[in-house]
Amino acid sequence: MQAAKILAALLALEIAVFSFTGANFLSSGNAAEILRLSVELGLLAVAMTLVIITGGIDLSVGSLMSLCAVVMGALWKDAGWPLEASILAGLLTGVIGGYLNGFLITRFRQLPLIVTLGTFSLFRGMAEGLTGAVKNYTGFPPNFLSLGQGYLFGAIPMQALVFIPVVLLFWVLLHRTGIGRSLRAIGYSEPAARYAGIPVESRLRLVYTLSGLAAGIAAMIYVAHIGQAKSDAGTGFELMAITAAVLGGTSIFGGKGTVHGTLLGLAAIVILQNGLRLSGQPTELAGILTGLMLIVSIGLEQRPGMSRVVLAVGAMALALLIGFNGHAVKTGPEKRLQVGMMPKAKGDPYFISCRKGAEEAAKELNIDLIWDGPTDLDPAKQNEVVEAWITRGVDVIAVSVESSASISTVLRKARAKGIKILTWDADAEPDARDYLIDQATAQGIGYAVTDQTAAILNGKGEFAVVTGSLSAANQNEWIKHMRVRLAEKYPDMKLVTIRPSDSDRDRAFAETQTILKVYPNVKAIAAISAPAVPGAAEAVKQSARKDVKVTGLSLPSMCKTYIHDGVIRSIVLWNTHDLGYLTIQAADALMKGKLVDGFNAGSLGPHAVRGDHVMLGEPYVFDISNVDKFEF
Amino acid sequence: MKSRELAAGVVLGAILLILLFAAPAFFAPDNLRDLLLNSAGVMLVALGMTLVIVAGHIDISVGSQFAAASIAAGLLAKAGLPMPLVGLLVLALGAMLGAANGLLITRLKIPSIVVTLATMIILRDLLRWTTEGAWVQNLPVGFQWAGLGQTAGSVLILVKTLVAILLVAWCLRNLSAGRQLFATGSNPDAAVLAGIRTDAVVTGVFVIMGILSAAAAMLNAIRFSEVPGNPGAGLELKAIAAVVVGGASITGGRGTVGGTVLGVLLLSVIGSALTYLGINPYWEKAVQGVILLAAAASEAVRQSRGLKGAYASR
Repeated sequence: MQAAKILAALLALEIAVFSFTGANFLSSGNAAEILRLSVELGLLAVAMTLVIITGGIDLSVGSLMSLCAVVMGALWKDAGWPLEASILAGLLTGVIGGYLNGFLITRFRQLPLIVTLGTFSLFRGMAEGLTGAVKNYTGFPPNFLSLGQGYLFGAIPMQALVFIPVVLLFWVLLHRTGIGRSLRAIGYSEPAARYAGIPVESRLRLVYTLSGLAAGIAAMIYVAHIGQAKSDAGTGFELMAITAAVLGGTSIFGGKGTVHGTLLGLAAIVILQNGLRLSGQPTELAGILTGLMLIVSIGLEQRPGMSRVVLAVGAMALALLIGFNGHAVKTGPEKRLQVGMMPKAKGDPYFISCRKGAEEAAKELNIDLIWDGPTDLDPAKQNEVVEAWITRGVDVIAVSVESSASISTVLRKARAKGIKILTWDADAEPDARDYLIDQATAQGIGYAVTDQTAAILNGKGEFAVVTGSLSAANQNEWIKHMRVRLAEKYPDMKLVTIRPSDSDRDRAFAETQTILKVYPNVKAIAAISAPAVPGAAEAVKQSARKDVKVTGLSLPSMCKTYIHDGVIRSIVLWNTHDLGYLTIQAADALMKGKLVDGFNAGSLGPHAVRGDHVMLGEPYVFDISNVDKFEF
Repeated sequence: MKSRELAAGVVLGAILLILLFAAPAFFAPDNLRDLLLNSAGVMLVALGMTLVIVAGHIDISVGSQFAAASIAAGLLAKAGLPMPLVGLLVLALGAMLGAANGLLITRLKIPSIVVTLATMIILRDLLRWTTEGAWVQNLPVGFQWAGLGQTAGSVLILVKTLVAILLVAWCLRNLSAGRQLFATGSNPDAAVLAGIRTDAVVTGVFVIMGILSAAAAMLNAIRFSEVPGNPGAGLELKAIAAVVVGGASITGGRGTVGGTVLGVLLLSVIGSALTYLGINPYWEKAVQGVILLAAAASEAVRQSRGLKGAYASR
């Protein structure tokens, strides 16, 4: 009970702070957005509450979401099933997956943590295996998409129609039925529950099956929400759902917990993210504060005597937050042009160097630049950020698009509200934006990388590609054009394998080591993700194979030493700093109505505009002759 | 008692046997060396995780500890400190992070899964916030391979990993601290009655976990000439999976170093084995999941199942 009070107090504090610092935080539109953002996670968290109450845990729900989404997409698109049947099959997948968890736990008397850790890996692996991790099912009919994107009476998000009844059912089940009481009994003491005549096995199977069903429903709403079904759906959702439940007072030992407590915990997490975004604060603060809240609220429950110490820590953290916000308010409300600019992933060195250029332009033009986006590649997060910017009321939104199908709807919504839309680095659907800042076409990139590889091989021999993640749309597009170029210009070259690196240097390193051994005839590696190039180069260097060279797409600063060593022959890229700079210059010109062919792009001088494409220039080849001249 | 270790060993043996006939190139010394070097990091973390799990706890913040230690190693080396000192400071950082976990668990009586879930998120987002994902670049020449060159550097990494394995195994077997650890994990109340200071044992285990995460980060970082901005994601679940495959009981009180070593080797061989056998690598995660489930299911029921306290404190 005490935990719920503490949490309610923290939640009230959050709302109080953000109503001062967040632009349009207290509006009905934003309330609807918060509700929309809570649905998928909320479904998982509420079902997770029941699981944890029995003393168990379900780590597999995020992975199961991806399997349900992929099964639904594949049946509808590849097998030609009617949409309704595919949705049912997707839900059924969730039920089967959940039942499998329950079956393994009860039949083999295994701990839920171990079983669901295994299925966590198994379900995601199946989703990746079934789709080759690359297939991305899109083009769902509008009446299905409206389930995730539409409004009832113009105000209530559609998914609330599913969410609220499901939550009510779970509430009634847990708090008003004998089954709910039996779950608590199992959580307090399984042997006692057994002596009391409770069918423990079938109750546990029920709970895990319900958790699977919730994952299935969440998957369908997720697909409708972002408009695509892919094997990366739901990554990391399991830990967020557990956090929400535990924050809401569910005891990880079992026995204690409520559905409404979990909803409170969920609200605390989602409102924190939304409020920080509307206040223009770094969203990493949300993670830090969520973690602190978790320790504070559970710590207080366990050790009421410690309350003064813990409260002091909590108050300090919040004071810190308010301090930051106070700073933001001081510089915020001047009447400056406000541009929201979004990378695909904030942590990617490629985008970090774009940001430097953007900030330089913003300073020159006295523009209020808000730089925000997902930390790792995540199309759903991109939608969230755009929604927050619409609520906030920025003047221009500039997006590097991760998934065109999923973001275009929300960009159209922003346009309808009079916000100007630019895309940069990667495009949305043409009618969802005003201009594309075009650094180079997928064809230009694919061809240039193939030509550099051909230069290593003298047009003849075997090579391998190390890509980003196997599901990255940009990379798959480039590979398509590489194959075209191979077919028409280099018939004697053979692409023997494509390996994933998850844009992780160490993974690229290990994959390249394997390639070198399994395919001894490979003499060139084309790595097409920025961190993968130094990873591949280090592997070649350590193998002491002087006959193998690396090329690809990367930043000069990451590859400089390898280029001097001669391991990397060349890399292809455009000037990323200028790409960021040009995007902000174009945003400014667009607002002033001056974005025409030959517009003045600050220090870059007059720039070409072709139709609705603002051109940066040709891709650039960096090699030993010029690499030291570049800072990024 | 040893059936799970045996199962992991048999599966590993079977995979190696298939490879021996289907793809003998797998056994080239270079490949084995690379395989061992690539799994050294997970090995050290799983070693610490074995102790944590034997104590009846769990630590899901190890990936974030790994990230913090990697970046600290890069920054300290860049500041011009000599490599041995860098190593010591990084290990000290790991010890501090581990101590924070241990103290929160024992003082505030919060379950370890909740504490380390919180510190995982806090640490990871703190790093993202401060570094913004930027790599630590332009490190001094003496950073890679600790200035020893590739061959000596590789040997150094493998030897240190081996020493850590043997040291932990020896201590578990021969020191009273080892017995106190098993007692704490088997039944904390009984351990207290037997005069064991379980809080000190648990805090100590988390400190060792932190040190081993930092050691893993250090030994991994010096194989390269740059430190990436956000390494070690997903490391916690890899390590836990390896420990479980190696036969440790997640309820505490049971687990061996040898089993964990087998578990790590088994899970890390799969990716490479699939490629050598010409099987689509997209199925790697699915195969790992099946192995984990099979390892769990193969065990006969030893004791009445205790769902309660499975991943909880005390």
